Amino acid sequence: MTTDVMISASGLTKKFGSVRALDNVSFEVRRGEVVGFLGPNGAGKSTTMRILTCFIAPTAGSAKVAGRDVFEDPLGVRRGVGYLPQRAPLYGDMSVQEYLKFTAEIRGLDDHTFSRRLGKVIEVCGLAQTLGKQISHLSHGYRQRVGLGQALIHDPPILILDEPTSDLDPNEKAEVLRYIDEIGKDRTILLSTHNLAEVEQSCARAIIVSKGRVVADGPLDDIRGKTGHVRYLVTVDEQHGESGHAPPKAIELETALAGLAGARAVNELPTDERAHRFELATDQAGDLRAEIFRLMVAKGWTLLELRRDAQSLDTVFRELTRGEQRLDAGRSAEVDEDDDVDDVDDEPEADSADTEDKE
Amino acid sequence: MSPMLTIAKREFRSYFDSPLAYVVMCLTFLLLGLAFFMYGGGFWQIDRASLQLLFEYTPVGLSVLVVPVVTMRLIAEEKRSGTLEMLITLPVNDSDVILGKYLGALGLVMALVVATALYPIAMFGWPWNLGVLDTGPVWAGYVGLTLFSAAAVAIGLLVSTLTESQAVAFFITFFVLLILWFAEAAANQVSGGLGDLLTHVCFQSRLEGFTRGLIDTRDVVFFLSVTVVALMVAFRALERRKWS
Repeated sequence: MTTDVMISASGLTKKFGSVRALDNVSFEVRRGEVVGFLGPNGAGKSTTMRILTCFIAPTAGSAKVAGRDVFEDPLGVRRGVGYLPQRAPLYGDMSVQEYLKFTAEIRGLDDHTFSRRLGKVIEVCGLAQTLGKQISHLSHGYRQRVGLGQALIHDPPILILDEPTSDLDPNEKAEVLRYIDEIGKDRTILLSTHNLAEVEQSCARAIIVSKGRVVADGPLDDIRGKTGHVRYLVTVDEQHGESGHAPPKAIELETALAGLAGARAVNELPTDERAHRFELATDQAGDLRAEIFRLMVAKGWTLLELRRDAQSLDTVFRELTRGEQRLDAGRSAEVDEDDDVDDVDDEPEADSADTEDKE
Repeated sequence: MSPMLTIAKREFRSYFDSPLAYVVMCLTFLLLGLAFFMYGGGFWQIDRASLQLLFEYTPVGLSVLVVPVVTMRLIAEEKRSGTLEMLITLPVNDSDVILGKYLGALGLVMALVVATALYPIAMFGWPWNLGVLDTGPVWAGYVGLTLFSAAAVAIGLLVSTLTESQAVAFFITFFVLLILWFAEAAANQVSGGLGDLLTHVCFQSRLEGFTRGLIDTRDVVFFLSVTVVALMVAFRALERRKWS
C-alpha cells in the first residue's frame, strides 16, 4: 500500500445557526483504504461527506480530496470522486440507462468511453436486468445499485458513500456490501453507516464520530481495545482432572479465576458440554492467558478452551459515543437518543439532515 | 455537450415524461382559442386583419398558467427529493444548474409561443386567407412575447429556488406575475413614487408597444434586466446552501 493521502480533513467545523454539527474534525484516508465512517444518527457523518463533495462549505477548517482543495477547486474534487448521497436520490422519471448516460454526459465522458464503462458498471453492480426500467419503479436495493453505478461510471479513484445500505433488506444489504467489496479492491472508499456489522465486514479501519467530533480513529482491532476491557473465555472439564487430580467444582473454578490479578468480574456461561464455562472480564489490556494456563496446570484441571477477546466493536461504539454524550451536557440530548446500532430505524437521521438543510 | 446543455436537455425532455406538459399546452390553446375568437366578440368584432388580441391574451395565459406550472418544480422539487445533492455533487457549477434549468423551462414555454404562430399562418396564409396581414406588428409581437417569456420564466425559477414546495412556488409565481401584469391598473389607484414605480414595472404596459409593432429599446432593456437580475438572485439563493 502506498501512503498517498487521498482524503484529508483538517479542523472541519460546521455550524448550522447555533448548533455545531461538526467540531474540529480531522482525519486522513490513504490510497486503497476502505474506511468506515461510524456514528450515531446526527453525529455529523452526512455533513462531513457533503463538505468533502463540496455540496456545502465548512464554517472553519479545510479539506483536500484527491489532492485538491474543496474551496479552491470544487469541480476538480467532484471529478475525482464518485458520491452516493444518503437514500440514493435519483431522477425517478428516467430509465436506468438514461440516468447513467446523463451523469456520464455531465462528467464529460464520450460515447465510446461511456459504453465501455457502462458494461463494467452493469457487471459490477448487477444492473443488466434493469437497464431499461424507469427508476421510480425500482426497489430500494436496485436504486442503491444504480446510485453506486452512477458513482462508478467515470471510474473514480475515490468513492464516498453515505449509508449505502440503509433502508435495505438483509439480502439486498449483503448484495450491496458484496459490490462494495468488489469495488474496493482498487479504490479508496469512505463509507458511512451506523451499522457496525457492516464495518466489521467491509472495512479494516473505522473513524467513529459522535456529536460532531472524532472519538476514535484506527484499525478495528485498536478501536476494540480502546476502552481497555478484555475478556477471557475459559472452559474446564467438569468430570475428569489431569493425572489423578479431582475435577473442579464450579465454585472452585470461579474463586480461582477471581483470584487472578486484574480480574474484574467472573460469570458462568451456559454450555451444553460436560464442562464449566466462565467469562472473566479484566480491566487491563495485558494478557492473562499464560497465568490462566499455569493456574490450570497447578490445580491439575483439564482446560478445554481458552480464548482472549477484545471487546466487541458494538460495545466500544456504545461506550465511546455515550461517554461523549455525558461530557456534552450543554447540548440537547435528543439527537443521540437513538444510538443503538440497529439500522432499521434510520428516520431520525433523515430528519436531522432535513433540519440541517433548512437551517 | 456542456453540463449546462445536458441539464437543459434533461429538463426539457422530462416535461414530456409526465402528462403535465400536454395538459398545460392543450389547456392554453383551448383558452387562447376561446378568448381570441369568442370573448366579447373576439377577433370577428374587431373586423380587421390584426392579431393584436393574440398578443394581448397569450401573455396572460403564460403568466397565470403556463409559467407557474412549468417553473414550479425546477429547483423546489429537486430540493424536496434530495436529487439536488446528487446533481450538484457532479462536476457542475451552480451557474450551470441555474442556466440549464432555465433554458429547459424556457424551451418549453418558447415551444408554446412558437406554436401560436399557427394563428397567423392558418388565418392569413394557408388554408384560410382572411385578408392582408401587416406582418410588422406580428414580428414585433413575437419579439415582445419572447422577451416577456424570458423574464417570466426567470422569475418563476427564482421563486422555485427559494422554496422546497412546488405548490408554494406555483402560487407565489402566479401572484408575482399577476401583480406585475396588472401593476399599471394598480398604479392608477395610488399616487406618488409608488404609482410611478408600478407603472414602470408593469409587464402589460411594457408589452403594449410590441403589440402595436413598436420595439422600444427601453422595453427590451427592461425585460432583459428583469431576466438577468432574477437569474443572478436565483444563483445566489442556490449558492446560499453552502454557507447556511
